[in-house]
Amino acid sequence: MSVAQTFAQVVLNGLQQGAIFALLGIGLTIILGTMKFLNLAHGALYLIGGYAGMVVVRQTALNEGILFSTGTTELGFGLGFVAALVLVPVIGFVVGIAMERWVAEPFYDRPETDQLLVTFGLALIAQEVIKGIFGGNTFQSVTPSEIFGVSVSGPVVLPVVGSFPQWRLYLIVIAVVVIALTWLVIERTDFGLVVQAGTEDSEMVRILGIKINRSYSLVFALGAALAAFAGLIGVSIQTISPQIGTERALIPAFLVLVVGGAGSVVGAIVGGFVLGITIAAMTTLASQWAQIVLYAVAALVLLFRPEGLFGSVEVD
Amino acid sequence: MGGDDLRSDGGAVAPGEASVLDRARALAGRDGAAIVGTIVALIVFPYLLIDGLGMLGDLIGYRIGGYEGLASLVLIYGIVVIGFNLLLGYTGLLSFGHAAFFGTAAYAAAIFSAQVYGSPLLMVLVGTVVATLLAWPIGFMSIRRSGVYFAVLTLTFGQMLYFWALGPGAWLTNGDNGFSGVQVADLFGTLRLEGIVPFVGTWMYVFVAVFMVLAVAVASRILNSPYGLIFKALGENEQRVSFVGLDVFRYKLMAFVISAAFAGVGGSLFVIHESYIHPTTALYWITSGDFVIMTVLGGTGTLVGPVFGAFVFEYISNVISGVSLPVIGAIGSLWRLILGAVFVIVVWWLPEGIYGAIKEGVAWGVDRIERDRGQPAADGGED
Repeated sequence: MSVAQTFAQVVLNGLQQGAIFALLGIGLTIILGTMKFLNLAHGALYLIGGYAGMVVVRQTALNEGILFSTGTTELGFGLGFVAALVLVPVIGFVVGIAMERWVAEPFYDRPETDQLLVTFGLALIAQEVIKGIFGGNTFQSVTPSEIFGVSVSGPVVLPVVGSFPQWRLYLIVIAVVVIALTWLVIERTDFGLVVQAGTEDSEMVRILGIKINRSYSLVFALGAALAAFAGLIGVSIQTISPQIGTERALIPAFLVLVVGGAGSVVGAIVGGFVLGITIAAMTTLASQWAQIVLYAVAALVLLFRPEGLFGSVEVD
Repeated sequence: MGGDDLRSDGGAVAPGEASVLDRARALAGRDGAAIVGTIVALIVFPYLLIDGLGMLGDLIGYRIGGYEGLASLVLIYGIVVIGFNLLLGYTGLLSFGHAAFFGTAAYAAAIFSAQVYGSPLLMVLVGTVVATLLAWPIGFMSIRRSGVYFAVLTLTFGQMLYFWALGPGAWLTNGDNGFSGVQVADLFGTLRLEGIVPFVGTWMYVFVAVFMVLAVAVASRILNSPYGLIFKALGENEQRVSFVGLDVFRYKLMAFVISAAFAGVGGSLFVIHESYIHPTTALYWITSGDFVIMTVLGGTGTLVGPVFGAFVFEYISNVISGVSLPVIGAIGSLWRLILGAVFVIVVWWLPEGIYGAIKEGVAWGVDRIERDRGQPAADGGED
């Protein structure tokens, strides 16, 4: 492989991984920015998105768990991937609204540590409930073979890059569109304005007569929907198991948050892609060091630029 | 309450001197009470855990009794969380990276035993020293941030070590296969750790229990000293501490290093106990999370509270997981669900933890009994 080809493949892999990181990071950062709420259950939303996607897309054979022991051997609606693209964010949205009302709200006025702890406990519970329902085994990814009659599976030959899995290209496009839409909503709509103002000074927004509580639950739900969506596209290329929430989502989301800067949507997008490309590059160069370098980047940013690349929330 | 009675005769001792002496004696008394209490508790603990709960289990028809190794394991994690609580419960710093110290100590002790000599005492010494030395630079960098940024920084350092041990460091740690070459020698060259000690169990348990007593003694000494008072003050209002003219950074760093040393003792004992160590049990962030759960479950801000948390955690994970219920069937791997639920309940409604709730319950009971007798409730007796 030529250098240019390797480079192009690294960029594409980085974009694909970065898109998932960015989706996770945006959700976490808007929730932290507006509500000053630290959500360690963000990975659980990714997990829910992943499993919801699996159930919507296909029929999956079960071989352990509560459903299996009560006689269900197959689970799923087999509606295909397009249905999941619509339904999974909706499921995430609903879970987000419920979470905001019954978990986050009672903790807005409690110390940061309590928020971290209670959501950490919730993340554990979500993971174990999923494990209880579906069993602890690993399921195959839900890579779609066609969307609207267009075949998306198999490799495609691109200039410079060479052979590349076709679905991953579509995945990057879909994710970037969703990220762009989110950015537009935050930057160009009245709702986005309230969210941004809330990030700066939520007290002032309240005084101006805006019902910020309703915006709060919308922001939370939006963040949850994005995380669930990230879960869906995550499991379209990677295997599905109860650990994916904590292993593939929670920690990357927090790394994106600190690299990009808490409370900044642009920061989360940039941070996501920076970390995505870092890990893709390191996987090619020295795969054993990939994760270590990922954490080192986050640590260096925290040490030398604690407000992150685009941070708006004050760091002490 | 004791201070006044002791020196009420006055005598030849000057008043100022007397009060200092009394304070010293009161302090020693408090430490002494903690140590004696710990020793008594440690002697009866295996009996209660194995025979007490075993008999109760026979009565209700479930196997809920503990076993020998569990008693040691509870104490090992108990030592770790006593130290962790110095950081979280007193200075208010939430670390998600203490597995780094636990795991590094475990690996250092394991490698020392394989390469040099497997004396249990030397293994603990080596593990603790290495963990403490590691805590200095990590603490030095992490303490600069607070809140979630501190948590994420400690997490990143811990995770870097984990992935190093798993991949690039496999020449030293044996990577994903785990390190199984642990060679534990006899204690003082004569006592086999598996050897039986009448009533309390094995020498392993006695060995761990001695370190538990030491841990309680050291933690009690720190907390009852002016130094520990500053730790508490840091947790309450950091700004005021700095206004008083104290070097906040130094005290936070010391709290961090001390708590890491406790984790180091625990990690070394863990590897002596298990004779095997793997990056996932030793260094992964879930282990750090387990320390957080234990500490908060038991109750932050009290000396022995976290040990209760370690007990509840290990009991659920090792004993309750083996119980088979009528409808649901074997609990098995669902133990983490129970643990998560208990944890959320504690965070939500019992900010003082299980130990705090027990203490409050007892105080309430005593209060009721005394009121029923028509006497005013006695004050004092709180520590």
